Amino acid sequence: MKLQEFTTSSHNFEECMKCTVCTVYCPVLQVNPLYPGPKQAGPDGERLRLKDPYFFNYALKYCMNCKRCEVSCPSGVHVADLIQAARIKYDRSAPKLRDRILASTDFMGSLARPVAPVVNAVTGLGITRAVLDSTLKIDHRRVFPKYSGRSFERWLRRREKQQAAFEEQVAYFHGCYVNYNYPRLGKDLVKVMNALGVGVQLLEREKCCGIALITNGMSAQAAKNAAHNLDSIRKAVTGKGLKVVTTSSTCTLTIREEYPNLLGQDNADVKASILTAARFICEKIEKGATLRFRPDFHKKVAYHTPCHMEKMGWGIFSEKLLRMIPGLELTILDSNCCGIAGTYGFKKENYEYSQAIGEPLFRQIREVNPDSVACDCETCKWQIEMSTGYTVENPISLLAQALEDDEEK
Amino acid sequence: MRFDTLIIGGGLAGLLAGISLQKAGRKTAIVSTGQNSLYFFSGTFESVEEPSERLRELLSECGIRVHYSPGVRFMPLGTFRDSALSLEDISLFPTPEIARKALIVNFAGYLDFFSSFISEGLSRHGASCRMVTLDMPELSRFHQNPDEMRSAQIARALDSNWEKVVKEVCVMLHDEDTVILPQVFGLQDAEIPEKIRRGIPARVIFTGTLPPSVPGIRTQMLLKRRYEVLGGTYLSGDEVVGAHLYEGTVHSVVTRNLEGHYLEAGHFILATGGYFSKGLKSNPFQVYEPLFGLDVDYSEDRNAWYAPSFAADQPYMNYGVKTDEHLHALLQGNPVSNLLVAGSVLGATHPELGSGAGLAIRSAFAAVDQILKASPDQA
Amino acid sequence: MKTNEFDVIIIGGGITGAGTQRDCAMRGLRTLLIERSDIATGATGRNHGLLHSGARYAVNDPESAEECIKENMILRQIASHCVEETDGLFITLPEDDLGYQKTFVDACRRAGIDAEIIDPDLARRLEPSVNPELIGAVKVPDGSVDPFRLCAANMLDAKLHGGQVRLHTEVTGFIKEGDTIVGVHTRNVQTGEEADYFAPVTVNACGIWGQHIASMAGVRIGMFPAKGALLIFAHRVNNMVINRCRKPSNADILVPGDTVCVIGTTSTRIPFEECDNVSVLPDEVDLLITEGAKLSPSLSSTRILRAYAGVRPLVSADDDPTGRNISRGIVCLDHEVRDGLKGLVTITGGKLMTYRLMAEQATDLVCRKLDIAKACETATTPLPGSEEKSYESVAQKIWESPSTAQKAAAARLGTSASRIRTENRSEDALVCECEEVSLSEIGNALARLEVSTLTDLRRRTRVGMGTCQGGFCACRAAGILGQAHGCIERAREDLADFMQERWKGNFPIGWGDTLREAEYTQWIYKHVLGL
Repeated sequence: MKLQEFTTSSHNFEECMKCTVCTVYCPVLQVNPLYPGPKQAGPDGERLRLKDPYFFNYALKYCMNCKRCEVSCPSGVHVADLIQAARIKYDRSAPKLRDRILASTDFMGSLARPVAPVVNAVTGLGITRAVLDSTLKIDHRRVFPKYSGRSFERWLRRREKQQAAFEEQVAYFHGCYVNYNYPRLGKDLVKVMNALGVGVQLLEREKCCGIALITNGMSAQAAKNAAHNLDSIRKAVTGKGLKVVTTSSTCTLTIREEYPNLLGQDNADVKASILTAARFICEKIEKGATLRFRPDFHKKVAYHTPCHMEKMGWGIFSEKLLRMIPGLELTILDSNCCGIAGTYGFKKENYEYSQAIGEPLFRQIREVNPDSVACDCETCKWQIEMSTGYTVENPISLLAQALEDDEEK
Repeated sequence: MRFDTLIIGGGLAGLLAGISLQKAGRKTAIVSTGQNSLYFFSGTFESVEEPSERLRELLSECGIRVHYSPGVRFMPLGTFRDSALSLEDISLFPTPEIARKALIVNFAGYLDFFSSFISEGLSRHGASCRMVTLDMPELSRFHQNPDEMRSAQIARALDSNWEKVVKEVCVMLHDEDTVILPQVFGLQDAEIPEKIRRGIPARVIFTGTLPPSVPGIRTQMLLKRRYEVLGGTYLSGDEVVGAHLYEGTVHSVVTRNLEGHYLEAGHFILATGGYFSKGLKSNPFQVYEPLFGLDVDYSEDRNAWYAPSFAADQPYMNYGVKTDEHLHALLQGNPVSNLLVAGSVLGATHPELGSGAGLAIRSAFAAVDQILKASPDQA
Repeated sequence: MKTNEFDVIIIGGGITGAGTQRDCAMRGLRTLLIERSDIATGATGRNHGLLHSGARYAVNDPESAEECIKENMILRQIASHCVEETDGLFITLPEDDLGYQKTFVDACRRAGIDAEIIDPDLARRLEPSVNPELIGAVKVPDGSVDPFRLCAANMLDAKLHGGQVRLHTEVTGFIKEGDTIVGVHTRNVQTGEEADYFAPVTVNACGIWGQHIASMAGVRIGMFPAKGALLIFAHRVNNMVINRCRKPSNADILVPGDTVCVIGTTSTRIPFEECDNVSVLPDEVDLLITEGAKLSPSLSSTRILRAYAGVRPLVSADDDPTGRNISRGIVCLDHEVRDGLKGLVTITGGKLMTYRLMAEQATDLVCRKLDIAKACETATTPLPGSEEKSYESVAQKIWESPSTAQKAAAARLGTSASRIRTENRSEDALVCECEEVSLSEIGNALARLEVSTLTDLRRRTRVGMGTCQGGFCACRAAGILGQAHGCIERAREDLADFMQERWKGNFPIGWGDTLREAEYTQWIYKHVLGL
């Protein structure tokens, strides 16, 4: 390479032209005056932090990591990565107990699941929420996701043989939410895949993707999870030649992008094989696969593109999937953040901001008044359901509902 | 995925081409790396005067209202420029004598609007000016964070409170015939500037601010919305990273986000912009077109790229992708049969097409015409 | 006593002039500083900003080396808010003679410089950006110093001691009575206003331009104008100074300073007439990049922000085509003794590092002439802003939980940052976002630091020194300045001058992101703002 032929570092903040477009799109900046905004927190702040870590600003914790700054940046600067990387590198404050609890999605899940009815009842109680609010600063207005009595993993293991009978196979990274809270979505995926003649198998072992750990300042633990998951993914991809599909946009982004960019976990060998189920299905259908749909299906659906899907640019696959369902009347909602950003909105100090950020989206949903909202993200689902009362379904679930034969009883 | 035409670049040229092709019944997609120079759009279409019927119709369908009259327009640093086709936000005047007495209103703490330059500029043309600042409670939140006091944030806060602005201005207005306000109104709603004009009993002139440009953002949103309503696929925050050519024809491209997924099309339009948008890249040795490695008209002598004077015409700004007379890109001297070039990536290689917005409009329409001519029966 | 009469007139607002004014003022003299442009416009502001340990001169110029290390230790104490104690490395690359290392370290030790040979592995750990192929490393107490800030602090302290300052004022001639200089004719270059000032002693502290001033007085000083070109990179790649352990040569020092780092220099003799308008040539740029990448390979792919050049005020000695071998030693001339011309002293040679010592020698001479016995105190009295050493504790004392911008202000202003604390939050608005300079910091500079143009403001605040190179902040600052001075028309011209000055440093390295930024800025100023 010739001298000065290329002048971009791995975190390319020098490409920032100071145009301020990112500040137009930052949802936090619209509502929270304590947040310095993506340009200041990202490329501007980085120049000072390179001089002295003292210039690190703890207000960077208000960044939701929604990555809208990156989508809007005309220069392709990895603004959100810079901010999260700075938090990882410079934030020396120990995570609070509350943040540890919120971040440990799989640990909490495995504890709560066997006693799910009790946990669900307890977290649903006003008094519990008041206690959580005052002791842990988890906002009392927040509705907790319910835990399921039986894990998805256990459900699928019992169908191992049946799934193995399919000639074509995929591995499924289901994520904590499907496993502990909402196995229904996993079952819907299996139904759709089976309808395409594809069997679904689990990864050898799956841990939480780690996004909540990253945003709550536990990146070392996140890196461990990442290494573990990549190991399992490698066994599926390079060992068995499988694609790994997902139903959560955030898990997908985390594994594909955050692992190498924030956690130093190289995934180059398997990245191309990690796909949302929607993309997998679209590409399969482009190659000639067909699905048989119920003739009597009718639903009015509004699709919300989650921020991380927006960042990946794969919303077109979910959209295409929904458009192929006969009888589905689709509205694409304006691109807005719902405000939850994973565990962000659970924190007492963020609750008001979180709701204010989501308000334009909620307003539009009310105006459209759909039968249900489609969305590929579980935390958007909690937020939209809690804030609007509309049911939120994954596009895969909608597809499953519209399929001809319903073998799942 | 397959499209009739794939457009690389979501700025003015790309969107106009996309809308035109969708209207002609073609299936198109636009790949856009983040936002584009419409965010810095002054509101005036450089090198365009009376719009063609085609342009007028297209803009009007999008809800973009424009006007033109010969004369001058007033600039944010208190200077005047020749008038050109402009958004209705921008006032055009026959002469620089635009006011007798002017009230210049700024918001407390807003640094991106230059009251004193405006005052001096108007005074030079016979106006007596009074500068006032408006401290709106709706904007007080911004004082807590010095980085938020930017045009788009103010517009967002004031679009639902424009009546209060009108009321406050009316209170401060004495016998002035003209009111100057920063161009921070109507981010979502193009009607607001007009409503403010109607509410204030003096001539209201909206004057530009530092970027981002509120009318520019609105224009971009309206164009994009129209494109999507017509069924176009807009891939935002993505960039083309590879292209496949066979025998002088582009077969498909791959984007960063859709790695491993080919975007195929019968025609391609390269509307990737100038240096800022990375349509052209440079290093100490060359100026080049990064996606296809197309032929670029530039000087190999680095010293010849620049004029030492900041204000002079800069040679580097004239460099652009070489094309044949029908705007087909040239690759090693040969035209690529289905790759058309539009917008500022052309530099000044086609001076007859104008510059800036004018170049974007004229070249986008020309590219669309070429495509429709080359495959007339597709629709 | 008339208002145009002083004890001493100092010509030249570089660091030597400002330092001399401060010293004279602290010894109770009524002082006047005259500068035809702004402070720190000559060699003062056009170098690496290296706080030399003296190691660079240890082998060839031991006297300068000794001066450097002494002054280095003094500046850490009296100018802490202008200094970063980064330490430095002298690295030996495979192409260099490792044998030189011993000669070097021995010479350093003789000069009193704490030079320590360290393992190349340790060097790589201490400074990860260093060329990993190094085969030897010596750690020395180098650092970095902000010459603009240092110069401004000296001027400010002189003013606080009653000194007067006339910037943008040129000396058009000397007023002589017989064989004695008794005053100067001056003309304000902005307003054209003429004035005469009188003092029994005048100090010529004009660096390379001292030759011209001396000839105006009828005496001859032979200066050797040696141009040095440098490049500023858009962000820091290193946090320690990196030098080559070999005989001083081209582009062998990389200095981190504030938000950037600087590689330099070249050394080329230029005709005296070119001193006022030096430019950086493409060959020099290429050489700086090529050699710089040997110190730190990442420079080959780091965005360059600016190119600039300065002229070293070397005093002619023998016939040396590069000037590399001329001593950096101080030259203090009593023209009464040397040329029989009373009332004129020339202080020249030396370097940024030894400015305080130069000022002390010049002031001692002035005081002898005026029969004043007061001793020099500049070696122990902190400059305004440097009363406390750590900007962290300064910021913490002023603001309970300082924002990044407030921390940055504390790092720039030291204890003077307490002056920009404001209850009015709109005063905290950032004018310059790259360097995080607030409205109140600009207000402080306008009130205390003799600002008349945007470029003056830049030297005192870093406004416009960041990656946007004035694209955003310059017009904001121009409006503020125009209002403060009550002349908008001038402010508009000033803005055009400022953008021109920024462009001058950009186009020699105008490619990649720097060219993108230039296109953006030129487009905004022309088509959006209407400059």
